[in-house]
Amino acid sequence: MNLKEAIATINRMQADGVIGRYAIGGAVGATFYLEPVTTLDVDIFVGFRSDPGHVLSLGPIYDYLKARGCTVEGEYIVIAGWPVQFLPPGSPLVEEALADAVDRDIDATLMRVFTAEHLAAIALQVGRAKDKARLLQFVEAGAFDDARFQAIVSRHGLVDRWRQFERLFLNDEP
Amino acid sequence: MSFDLQRILDSKRAFRQKLAARPVAEKLRLLDELRAAALAIRGASVPSPDNAGMVQEDAAKYGDDDSK
Repeated sequence: MNLKEAIATINRMQADGVIGRYAIGGAVGATFYLEPVTTLDVDIFVGFRSDPGHVLSLGPIYDYLKARGCTVEGEYIVIAGWPVQFLPPGSPLVEEALADAVDRDIDATLMRVFTAEHLAAIALQVGRAKDKARLLQFVEAGAFDDARFQAIVSRHGLVDRWRQFERLFLNDEP
Repeated sequence: MSFDLQRILDSKRAFRQKLAARPVAEKLRLLDELRAAALAIRGASVPSPDNAGMVQEDAAKYGDDDSK
């Protein structure tokens, strides 16, 4: 299995016009800013066409990848040994994250990844135990710009949720 | 060797910072290795709801419906 090869395949798919702008999110995205943590899959966010009458479909992506030896397993398509999930931006926050994603050149492979601030805000919004743990990692590592993060939190109606998170995990008071 | 908890926690934090500061390419290679090890331990090929007996979280819901 090889993550770099999986991303290179997605880059080729983009160059071939199958997908538009994409960005890496989830635990793999967080690895660009934090220490690596075990993950079993890769979340790739893709801007799907939304013109009237056009049905959102993974068909072209799966057809392209299956023709290149990838296999479908449940909700994943396995690329270079990694189960990859292609996800539409399901909220204005994720749409903004996709628009603001940054390009990184990793050993001559271009990788587009969510910013640290957006990854932290998405973790706050999604809110599962492992998302809270990831958000704590960002905070403890000082891995994001607090002013940018607060602006995102405010813009997307997450202020109360952030205050609750601070109360539960960042304050010393019981 | 010390059992001073604060020193242990400081040491862990320093180790995590050192890991985080490694080049991204190296960290991605570590993810490859971590996943291989996790699969070997779990004895499964891909995450699946059919993995009976395994405690798993729900899949992420990337929407804002529940954030209010």
